[in-house]
Amino acid sequence: MTRLSRRELLRCAALAGLALPALPALSACATPAGNGGAASSAPAVGATSATNPLGFAENRPLEIWIFDGGFGDAYAKDVHERILRTRHPKLEIRHNATKEIAKTLQPRFAGGNPPEFVNNSGAGAMDFGALVQDGQLADLTPLLDAASWDDPAVKVRDTIDPAAVELGSYDGKPYVLNYANTVWGIWYSRKLFEAEGWQVPRTWADFLALCETIKKSGRTAPFTYAGKHPFYIYEAILTLAAKIGGKDVLKNIDNLQEGAWKAEPVTRAAGAFAELGAKYLLQGTAGLDHVQTQTAQNKGQVAMLPCGSWLENEQKDSTPADFDYAMFPLPDFGSSDALPYGTLHAQPGEEYVVPAKSANPRAGLEYMRAMLSKEGAGEFMELVSTLTVVKGAGEGRALKPGLKSASAALTAAGDNAVWFLFRKWYAELHDEVAAASGQLMSGKLSVAEWADRAQRKADALKADSSVKKFTR
Amino acid sequence: MADAVIPRSRAYAREERRRRLGPLSALTHVALLVWTVLVVVPIVWTFLASVKSEDEIFGDAWSLPATLRLDNWARAWEQAHIGQYMVNSIVVVAFGTFGTMLFGSMAAYVLARYRFRGNRAVYLLFVSGLAFPVYLALTPLFFVVQNMGAIPVVGPYIGLNTHGGLVLVYIAYSLPFTVFFLAAFFRTLPGAVAEAAFVDGASHTRVFFQVMLPMARPGIVSVTVFNVLGQWNQYQLPLVLLTSDREKWVLTQGIADISTAAGYDADWSALFAALSMAILPMLIVYTLFQSQIQKGLTAGALK
Amino acid sequence: MNHGRTRFVAGFLAVPVALYLIYVIAPYAQAFSIALTDWRGVNASPRFVGLENFRRLWDDDVFWRAVGHNLVLLVLLPVLTIGIALFFAFLLNAGGRGGTEGVWGSRFYRVVFFFPQVLAVAVVAVLFQQVFRPDRSGMLNAPLIALGFEPIGFLSSTDVAFWSILAVLVWQAVGFYVVLFSAGIASIPRELFEAAAIDGAGGARLFLRVTLPLLWDTVQVGWVYLGIAALDVFAVVWVMTAEHGGPDHSTTVMAAEIYRTAFQYFKFGYASAMGVVLFFFTIGFAILALRLSRRERIEF
Repeated sequence: MTRLSRRELLRCAALAGLALPALPALSACATPAGNGGAASSAPAVGATSATNPLGFAENRPLEIWIFDGGFGDAYAKDVHERILRTRHPKLEIRHNATKEIAKTLQPRFAGGNPPEFVNNSGAGAMDFGALVQDGQLADLTPLLDAASWDDPAVKVRDTIDPAAVELGSYDGKPYVLNYANTVWGIWYSRKLFEAEGWQVPRTWADFLALCETIKKSGRTAPFTYAGKHPFYIYEAILTLAAKIGGKDVLKNIDNLQEGAWKAEPVTRAAGAFAELGAKYLLQGTAGLDHVQTQTAQNKGQVAMLPCGSWLENEQKDSTPADFDYAMFPLPDFGSSDALPYGTLHAQPGEEYVVPAKSANPRAGLEYMRAMLSKEGAGEFMELVSTLTVVKGAGEGRALKPGLKSASAALTAAGDNAVWFLFRKWYAELHDEVAAASGQLMSGKLSVAEWADRAQRKADALKADSSVKKFTR
Repeated sequence: MADAVIPRSRAYAREERRRRLGPLSALTHVALLVWTVLVVVPIVWTFLASVKSEDEIFGDAWSLPATLRLDNWARAWEQAHIGQYMVNSIVVVAFGTFGTMLFGSMAAYVLARYRFRGNRAVYLLFVSGLAFPVYLALTPLFFVVQNMGAIPVVGPYIGLNTHGGLVLVYIAYSLPFTVFFLAAFFRTLPGAVAEAAFVDGASHTRVFFQVMLPMARPGIVSVTVFNVLGQWNQYQLPLVLLTSDREKWVLTQGIADISTAAGYDADWSALFAALSMAILPMLIVYTLFQSQIQKGLTAGALK
Repeated sequence: MNHGRTRFVAGFLAVPVALYLIYVIAPYAQAFSIALTDWRGVNASPRFVGLENFRRLWDDDVFWRAVGHNLVLLVLLPVLTIGIALFFAFLLNAGGRGGTEGVWGSRFYRVVFFFPQVLAVAVVAVLFQQVFRPDRSGMLNAPLIALGFEPIGFLSSTDVAFWSILAVLVWQAVGFYVVLFSAGIASIPRELFEAAAIDGAGGARLFLRVTLPLLWDTVQVGWVYLGIAALDVFAVVWVMTAEHGGPDHSTTVMAAEIYRTAFQYFKFGYASAMGVVLFFFTIGFAILALRLSRRERIEF
């Protein structure tokens, strides 16, 4: 393999030196990865047994890459790896963490030597669509059908939230393990609300009235969001749109349906938030990022902000001890809302994958099995203060106030949990909607223009043959 | 007689100009001071923020720190490994610049002073590299370096995630500028000394190293300065080529990482401390060597 | 003198040319061929799509906005930087007593002005992100807010952000050119100033009639450097702005779009097509600059 690619390399160099425009001749050199990737040795497999139902090779190392973001990487080192090690003491675990997953690992995928286990999350995550499209991810079906860590009589599949499997599936096959369960809502300090006598709003009119009251108080700004990352606001817009028009509103958007972004529930929700943006935002919101706005909230400079349930953990160092985090779901917009009060955006998230072309992929699956144990999930919940997809993992564990509030809201929502997937499927559409939403909130775009831009990008993606399309 | 006249007229002219330029002088100082403030204040402000608490950083920008929180520096040093990154940067830039200057001056010299078939083509090939946007080459470059790593014996020293590989890439990407600049410089050097050396029976190689290179010293120094600055500040190439092994990271990667990290961990004071650590040594080194740097830099650039 | 000449030439060129071909030319050549595929970076065999990427690029509004920003930078970055640098270089060298001596403290100024140049761009970007913060923890907005004005969204207003980027670029570049031009002025024979001064030339006329013409060569060198730098702007935009080139693409540049398309959208084919366009812009500028600079040199 090496000699071949080296010779090719030299040929490329020679050709390049001779004639830059001789393009077709060069296309053979375009991707040295082609040779490297295809020629890499077959994945290692070991014998299956009761303790090793997936049959990974114990004599090969397991290389782990954790996204060092809001959750840090201690949960992997101190909890999951420890649990795995107690059952498989011979397995060598190589732990790594990074803040830039794609920059760090994309080249290794391209080179055909990816690690065994990747926590593909954060702003710098790799594009799942592209990975699936190229057969880079291992099918998780063997894991789901394997015996669970705690009880050999129960399959892994039956111990977790089915939404997690659904969300991690591409064209019906599960590739991605969504481990943490995230609940979105409007977050506030219960202590501040109680001290000021503010009530959690049930309707949009109540919400606006509350904003007005807070604004008049003069000490605190009513509302903010991570202005530098307008995802935080379009998330709320879309959740409200689903509440007004039903789950299909988001399904249509995900499926790149014609006119999905111009549907009335979407524009009404956008209009509602545009009004909020015009009247009630914290000064300078557009230029602040999530940490800055969240810290401003901790300091009592602003009352409410939309966020996911990782918030409490992310802010643990700057939150006053008696802050008493809590969240409420988006209020009723009107009496004709398609979904009832309590509807919220809940989505299994924090993605973990096993690269199919790694040397010991079955060890990656085994690691997932350990993560999905009750002990693994329960300690994860306590440590990073977030919900997980493992059923009943929080039983008997002490949860912080914010997490308790989110957990209660999720239970109350029942079947009325909504979500959207285009953010993962089509990063370009996500970026465009984010950019337009930032402008919508600062009054630079009208609602019609906002919808128009989103729709145009969706249409362009639909027409782009190089991008694989997904449906749900 | 003429000798007497000229100084007097000079003195007169000086007097005259003082009259004209007098008010300008005050304005001059105002203008220069304004720019000095613009340059210095953000840097000093960063130093101040590096000893502030989290609360103070989120408070009024112009408030002074209540106490000097040197633990910010300790945190940045320990957790962010700024020291390790700095050593890496120094090693990579030292070898990179040395190699660039050696090979660059060799190529430039031959291209500037020897006629042979293909001279112009090779020169243009190098110079056209000045205009290549590096972003175009990043992905293929990754594979090239990866393939180099598969070469027997030397591979492990020049593949991905090795400083050797990065050094070779730095050299290659610094060549266009270096060759362009030094070739122009070598062309301006007089040929007489070299001729004399040849007559004395010196070889081409000896003439280059013992005659021409010393003569080209101003140009060499100035290009070296450019290359040191350019390679020290390089961010994109190490990002792609030194990915997985944190211990091998260079300083710019470390800083950008802390800046990203601040987004998640909210350790803003450590960010400022790390920034200060990146800034301070550069300022000290520069201030120590500034007269040489400026002399070399300008001597070359004016040719 | 011809003894071993060929061997010497070949020997001296071998290593640099080999390094250059392997690490620079080969990747670029590959990039050109990738531009004709829909390669997404991870798949082994890219599909050949001909000029499809370029056709799509033609309709890509965001990319053309990036091109527009690069072109504005191409004009304004050299003009502002060279203008300010010339002004200070002149003051430093001819603004002092008698018009021919350096101003008092000129050495100090030259050292300090050069400071930004020695800082890594990534460091400068992180630093100015803090300077430009939109609340009262921002260095510039703190006094505005204290005086009761609305804070300026240096990086968050689509009307202002681009100019903030330009300001940072100029801030960093000026010092280098002050030093460069200072040396140029210092190499102008004193007599020329004196003669002009005897003819009654004042500060401004001295500058326009003597300094500038004799410095013209150096100014052109600076122009070419800054022009290429303007087309290559990346780190400041990428690290400093929201949405990496935002808000709403208001600060994006070609390099940022290439990086985003390649390493965030994994459309390496499309990104390479953008790179090819950037390539021709840069080559075009370089050729133009070389043509224009074929002016007579003023010898002295």
